[in-house]
Amino acid sequence: MLEVRDLEVAFGPVAPLSGVSFSLEKGETLGIVGESGSGKSLTAMSVMGLLPLSGGRITAGSIMFDGQDLTNLPEPAYRKLRGGRLGLITQNPMTSLDPLQKIGPQVDAVARLHLGMNASEARARTVEILGTLRIPEPGTICNRYPHQMSGGMKQRIVIAMALAADPDVLVADEPTTALDVTVQAQIIRLLDDLVKERDLSLVLITHDMSVVAQTCDKVVVMYAGRAIEHGPVEAIFDAPQHPYTQALIGCIPKGLSDDEHLTGIPGTVPNVLNYPKGCPFHPRCTQAKEICATDVPAFVQHGNGQAACHFPGAPQ
Amino acid sequence: MTNLLEVRNLSKQFKSPGGPFRKARAMHAVNDVSFDLPKGRVVGVVGESGCGKSTLARLILRLIEPTDGTLRFDGEDLRAKSPAQMRKLRANMQMVFQDPYSAIDPRYTISRAVMEPFVVQDRKPASKPEEEVAALLRMVGLDPGLASSFPHQISGGQKQRVGIARALALRPQLLVLDEPTASLDVSVQAQIISLLEQLRDDLGLTYLFISHDLSLVRYFCDEILVMYLGRVVEALPDTDLPARHPYTATLMDSTFAPDPKLRRIITPLEGEVPSPFDLPPGCAFADRCPRAAAICRTETPVLSSDGGHAVACHNPI
Amino acid sequence: MSSMTGIAARWMAGYRGTPVSRAFGSWLGKIAGGFLVLLVLTAIFAPWITPFDYAAQDLTNGNAPPGWPHLLGTDQFGRDVLSRVIYGARTSLSVSATAIAISITAGMTLGAAAGYFGGFFERAVMTVVDLTWSFPDILIALIFVAIIGPGLTSTTFAIAIAYLAQFTRLTRAQIVRLKRETFIEATINLGAKPHHILLKHLLPNAIAPVIVVGMLAIGDGIVLEATLGFFGLGAQPPTPSWGAMMSSGTAQLFLSPWVIIFPGVVVAVTVIAVNLFGDELIRALDIRDRIRGS
Repeated sequence: MLEVRDLEVAFGPVAPLSGVSFSLEKGETLGIVGESGSGKSLTAMSVMGLLPLSGGRITAGSIMFDGQDLTNLPEPAYRKLRGGRLGLITQNPMTSLDPLQKIGPQVDAVARLHLGMNASEARARTVEILGTLRIPEPGTICNRYPHQMSGGMKQRIVIAMALAADPDVLVADEPTTALDVTVQAQIIRLLDDLVKERDLSLVLITHDMSVVAQTCDKVVVMYAGRAIEHGPVEAIFDAPQHPYTQALIGCIPKGLSDDEHLTGIPGTVPNVLNYPKGCPFHPRCTQAKEICATDVPAFVQHGNGQAACHFPGAPQ
Repeated sequence: MTNLLEVRNLSKQFKSPGGPFRKARAMHAVNDVSFDLPKGRVVGVVGESGCGKSTLARLILRLIEPTDGTLRFDGEDLRAKSPAQMRKLRANMQMVFQDPYSAIDPRYTISRAVMEPFVVQDRKPASKPEEEVAALLRMVGLDPGLASSFPHQISGGQKQRVGIARALALRPQLLVLDEPTASLDVSVQAQIISLLEQLRDDLGLTYLFISHDLSLVRYFCDEILVMYLGRVVEALPDTDLPARHPYTATLMDSTFAPDPKLRRIITPLEGEVPSPFDLPPGCAFADRCPRAAAICRTETPVLSSDGGHAVACHNPI
Repeated sequence: MSSMTGIAARWMAGYRGTPVSRAFGSWLGKIAGGFLVLLVLTAIFAPWITPFDYAAQDLTNGNAPPGWPHLLGTDQFGRDVLSRVIYGARTSLSVSATAIAISITAGMTLGAAAGYFGGFFERAVMTVVDLTWSFPDILIALIFVAIIGPGLTSTTFAIAIAYLAQFTRLTRAQIVRLKRETFIEATINLGAKPHHILLKHLLPNAIAPVIVVGMLAIGDGIVLEATLGFFGLGAQPPTPSWGAMMSSGTAQLFLSPWVIIFPGVVVAVTVIAVNLFGDELIRALDIRDRIRGS
């Protein structure tokens, strides 16, 4: 459905993203996980064709969507796709709705624009979608303004807008980060159900390994603008090959025993302006050897997954 | 075990005065909270946004004046202290803040920020200032070479370490940690938690740890207080105990394990935390509670203890 | 992501060096800043660079057109226009700068106290200050002229009062915003007294936007000084002032237009330069939001 190959993005002389590859089948959930500045949101923006908005451009690689390369797609064609077959759920539901417009017209607009529906057809569709998202009294909600609703409800509206044009691929950029835990659980459950019921492909961008473990089929782990490991979710959690993936999983309390001890990863996430040479993780890696500081590691196959490490699988 | 801090019936009401275009409203940010913090223990306060956990932290330190209740710190009645006495006492009770990015004056160098506690308390450090700065920075795992940097030149994790060094400069007994890792990356969060564990052992500190993250609280704390809309709904003397309050159970169920083998079908609780303004009578959780009965909507349950494990529920699990 | 693209954008925008050097970075900043530096130097070294005594009359050579030796011509009394424009810079700049300095000092004190203590005190101060804003500048000047007579002292005080409200409001807004920052709460929690909070944290952080707005106000002050001079309420003869020169030039507007044109052009160019450079400075300090917020 969606296949990204060796994607590279540049903002002027700065290259915050390089060598990102992944693929996604119908009905699959792919998690892109990483810390701040890892390039995970930038990957989402590249797929959605939103890079030119902030002055970035794709300098290498391809984004194949249903057999079509999106990297050279002209903006008018992209506009048809975006919000249509490619849905986006943004991080902050508080700012992704127009505060001056009622909910109904905002959601209607998507179906009218992408499916060519008239006003009454679009409204009927909006009410139906709001209903499937378990929003009580969808008809009344249409006449409300965003400020009259809670954060979780607003996030559902954003999801409704992403679904209105019947997308094939849904890109969700940290959809639950701004929400409380009990509301996060509601939204995660909702996304899970949608993928199953509609045979959607979901790209879930998050910093939270627990959310990935709960929802995803496949995982791409990103660090400093590079994909450093990808594979099926069980493989990534059971036998992580890249030292960063191992360490990242070790940073989350499991609550299994009292002897558990968190250590964290020494050092800090590198800044875009001075990504390390060689393997981007080598300054923080306990296994780093000379070669790690000079050569960018290639992907090494391991089971169904791949890790970009010179010494994959070495215990930390 | 002596109690470093005793909180009794602490309440805070925020009133927004009425005007020509709005009616007067009252909000019980913190409502009748009582607990003990024994010396050397780590007590965690967990809850969702708006539950009053951050207000509770500020009430305890008298950064916000309580409406009601008593506070005893090391045997002394805090609320009876004059502003001048309170300023002196603050050296013993410090706080680490959620947002390390704005917790240091952007115009201060790291060394000036770390030495500020001595300046405001009019104390001389034990050693020469530069040596004291280096010692404090080393204590929190920072390179003393950073002393002359400005906050914008260091990372979020480093800033939070500076915040901890500042809080510990005067060797307080109590450290209130208000979501100290919430705005940090996961890998840095684990570093800070591990630093705080080590400092507690080295300096014999007592912590009050405020967080929204139940797995983190279970990992880090000895005891847990669960708050919902200004009240403590459950007090767990041990982190391994099963939940008795339906809200605590929901919180635990909403927390995922970082392991795909433990994946489960979530049955999320419907609805969200209601507005804290002008609460109806009865249990604040009743509208969302799967176990709610008629009495839950009329009578507010009191926190009653059963061998240390206290729960405020008419129909506990 | 947003933070990262932000960093990249700043990096590309050349976000390096001190704010003043960044303000000089653009060609607009270079031209405007260069002109202002030249103007200040001219005002300081006026006695050494003026070709003639600004007050020396030569009635036989009145209303001489621009040429040699009077590069910008002479006025009706035969005084050298160039020398008077140069000395006029002294008057305009010093009156405006002094007035704004007084205004900033008073405004910051009032605004900081109002913002820090709040409550009834804040409301009282802000009401009085806002009241001064509701009077037209000229009216304020007339009050001072009525009390202490026409002259530069009245002009200075009139300008100072006219801009007091702006600085008070701006400072108060900064203080109110800063009071909510975590580092203030953290410092209170260390046991700091109010004067420590105010003098060591709040004021130093509030000062940058106030200085920039002050610099922009100097431009407006020059216009106000010229206006008052034009009406004969400002500098009294023989003290040269751009406004007074234009006023005296109106009588011979068609006979010798250079007497009114040159001071007029200098006022216009100076004010444009001050505003352009001020804008560059605001950009360089990245404080546009903070100034708009007051």
